[in-house]
Amino acid sequence: MRRAALALLLGVIALATQPARADENSDLDLIPSTAPPAPPPAGTVTAGAGQRLYVENAFTAASHRALLVPLPPPASPNWEERLFFDARKEWRLGDNVRAIYSGRLNLRAEDTLPIPNHENIRHDFREGYLSWQAAPQTFLDFGRINLKSGVAAGFNPTDFFKTRSVVEPLSSDPAVLREDRLGTLMLRGQQLWEHVGVTAAFAPKLYDPSLIYTNTSLPSFDPMLDRTNAHDRFLLKADANLAENFSPELLFYREGNATRWGANLTESIGQSIVAYGEWSGGSRASLIDDALRYGRTTGTIPANAPSALPENARKSFQNTLSLGASYTVAQITFNLEYHYDQAAFSRQDWRNWFRIGSANAANHAITNQLWYLRSYAADQQEPISKQTAFLRADWVDAFISKLELTALTSVDLYDGSAFGQVTADYYLSNQWTIGALASANLGTKRSDFGSLPQAASVMVKLARYF
Amino acid sequence: MRTTVIVAALLLTAVSAQAQTAQEIVAGADKVRNPGQPFRSTDTLTEYVSGQPRNQDVLVVFSKENPTSHQFRNLVRYVAPARDEGKIVLLDGSSLWFYDPSSKASVRISAQQRLIGQAAIGDILTVNLAVDYTGTVLGSESIQDAEHASRQCWHLDLKAANDQATYARVEYWVEHGTDNPIKAKFYSDSGKVLKILYYRKFADRLGAMRPTEAVIIDAVDSSLATIVAFGDYRFQEIPESWFQRDYLPRLTVE
Repeated sequence: MRRAALALLLGVIALATQPARADENSDLDLIPSTAPPAPPPAGTVTAGAGQRLYVENAFTAASHRALLVPLPPPASPNWEERLFFDARKEWRLGDNVRAIYSGRLNLRAEDTLPIPNHENIRHDFREGYLSWQAAPQTFLDFGRINLKSGVAAGFNPTDFFKTRSVVEPLSSDPAVLREDRLGTLMLRGQQLWEHVGVTAAFAPKLYDPSLIYTNTSLPSFDPMLDRTNAHDRFLLKADANLAENFSPELLFYREGNATRWGANLTESIGQSIVAYGEWSGGSRASLIDDALRYGRTTGTIPANAPSALPENARKSFQNTLSLGASYTVAQITFNLEYHYDQAAFSRQDWRNWFRIGSANAANHAITNQLWYLRSYAADQQEPISKQTAFLRADWVDAFISKLELTALTSVDLYDGSAFGQVTADYYLSNQWTIGALASANLGTKRSDFGSLPQAASVMVKLARYF
Repeated sequence: MRTTVIVAALLLTAVSAQAQTAQEIVAGADKVRNPGQPFRSTDTLTEYVSGQPRNQDVLVVFSKENPTSHQFRNLVRYVAPARDEGKIVLLDGSSLWFYDPSSKASVRISAQQRLIGQAAIGDILTVNLAVDYTGTVLGSESIQDAEHASRQCWHLDLKAANDQATYARVEYWVEHGTDNPIKAKFYSDSGKVLKILYYRKFADRLGAMRPTEAVIIDAVDSSLATIVAFGDYRFQEIPESWFQRDYLPRLTVE
C-alpha cells in the first residue's frame, strides 16, 4: 500500500514536469507566415471615423398583375435605374460641438418617368444638426434629426417619428427602410445618469399636412419638411438599467392634441435568445377614418365625398403591439414577431374592401378612395392589417465567407397572403459590395398581399465605399 | 495504513493548494493582458484565408472593469471597413447591444449573436478568465510560443464557472515567472476545439510588458486565422454612463 501511495505521488510530480505533447507545437503550423499589412499609424487610424461615404448603382425590374380593384395612376414602374451617392459625416466644431450631415443624392430613371425631368435628380436630406455636449452627461441637439425608438425588428409601435419619413426605399426590409428616412426638425435634449437615460424632443409644426407623395411627384432638392413637421410633436422617454438583464423604456408622445404612451422591454433568455415586446397605445380613430380625414384635409378626397367603407369617426383607446424574439444559431439570427395594430383593417374591413372594390371597378372615385386607404397606411409606416406575423433570417458568411443572406416574410394572419424577400450581399473587398434582391407578393386576388399590383421584383446592385 | 492516510492527506492538500495556485496564475495572466484601470486600444484585425491576408478591420475598444463582477465591459466601435464605420457594440455581462448609425437602431443581442462579427474578438481578448473560469494546474510544460521560442509554462485546465463564460472549457498555457499568456485553446460544450489563440510580441505598454499581437486560429476550419494587433494603448477615463444603450449614438473616437 505504501508503495502504491508513493507511486501515486511520483505520478503527480511526473505529470507536473512533463514536456508538451508533440501535437501542441504542431498548432504553430497553422499560424499564417505572411505578415499582416502594417496597421495604419495610431494618429491616422481614426481619421476616417465619423463618416461613411458610398456610391451605389441599383437596377430593379418588376412584374405586375391584373387587379381586382383597379389602381389609380401613376402606374408602378416596370424598371428603375438608380445611381446614388450616400453620405453620413460628422465634423467637430469645438471641444463640445459637432455638426452632423446625412443625405443621399440620387440620379434616377424609370419607365414611368420622362427623361429629362427634374425628378431625374433628387436629394434626400436625412439629417443635418448641431450637437452640443453641454455637460459630460448632458446633450442638446438642434436640427433635422432621425429619432428612432423601439426594440423590435419588423414593426416599431413606439417609433413615433417614423410616419411619412421613408423615401423611395430600395428594399422592404425594415432594417433598410430605416436607413433612408427623413429626420424631423427638432430640439432634443438628453441627460444620462449611471443607469438611467432621459430624452426629450420637441418638433414644431411648420407646414400643413401635404399630399402623399408618389414616385412621380417627388421634389428634386426640397427637404420635404412638410412630411415631418406638419404637427407640433413632443416626445419624452426614459429607460433604466434596473438589473443586468432588465432595462425597460417608457415613452410619452404628444402629436397635435393626441397622446400616445409606449413601452419597450427586452430580456435575454439563455445564450441564444432575446425576447422583446414593444407597445404603444392612445386614443385615436381607426385607420380608415384617419386616412379619410387626411385625404379630405389635403384635398385628395373631396370633402363631401362619402366613405366607400363604413365610417366610425369615434375615437377610442387603441393598442399597437410588437412581440417577438431573436434566436441565433451558428451564424444565423432569426427574428420571429407578432404584430398587432388595433386601428388597422379587421377581417370585415378586408371583406368590405374587396366586395365594394370589385363591384365598383369602373367607379374611379370609389377605387381611388380604397387604394388611398392603403397608400395612407404605407405612408404612415403602419400595418394595413390588424394581425401580421413577421420572420426574418440573417445569415452571415453563408456557405462561403463574406456572403450575407437575408430572408424575410410578412404574413397577413387573416388571409395567409405574404410578402417575401431574399437578399444576397457579397463583400468583394472592403470597398466593393455586390448584391441581388428578389421579392414577391404572394396570395389570392382577394388577399392583402395578393391584391397588390407588383407580383415580383428583382434588383441587382453594386456599391463602392470610400 | 497510517502512512497511506498521511500520504493521501498530503496529496489532497497538494491538490487543493494547486487549485488555488491555478486561479492565481490565471489572475496574473489577466493582469498582463488587461491593465487595472480603464483603457482604450485600437485593434487591427487581419483575416487570413489559407495563409493569405484577405480582409482588415479596425476597432476602437473602450474597456473598464465592472467593480461588482470584476469582469471587463467593452464598448467596441468599428472604424474600418468603411461599410461598417460607426457601428458600435456594447458588451457588458448579459447586457449586449448593437447600434447601427445607418438605421439609428439599438438592438439587444444574445450572447451567441455577439460572436458573429469581429467585435466579439475585441471582447474575448479582454475577458478576465479568472472571473469566468475555475482552473486546475495540469502540470508544467515546455511549449513553443508563436515565434517558436521555448517557454516553460503552467498548463492549466479552465472550466466555465458561470453562464457568462463564452466557452465551456479552456486549455491555457501561462509562462512561469512572468505570467505571460502564451497559448489558449477554447472548447465547445461537446469538447470540440473551436479556437486556438497565441499571444506574441510582448512589449512595454501602459506600464507593463503586454502582448501586442494575438493570433486566433479557427480550429473548425483551420484555413481561417485572424491576427489582432493591439495599438494606440492609452488609459482613458470611461464614465459609467457610457455603458448603456442611450450613450451608443454619442460615442465618438478621435
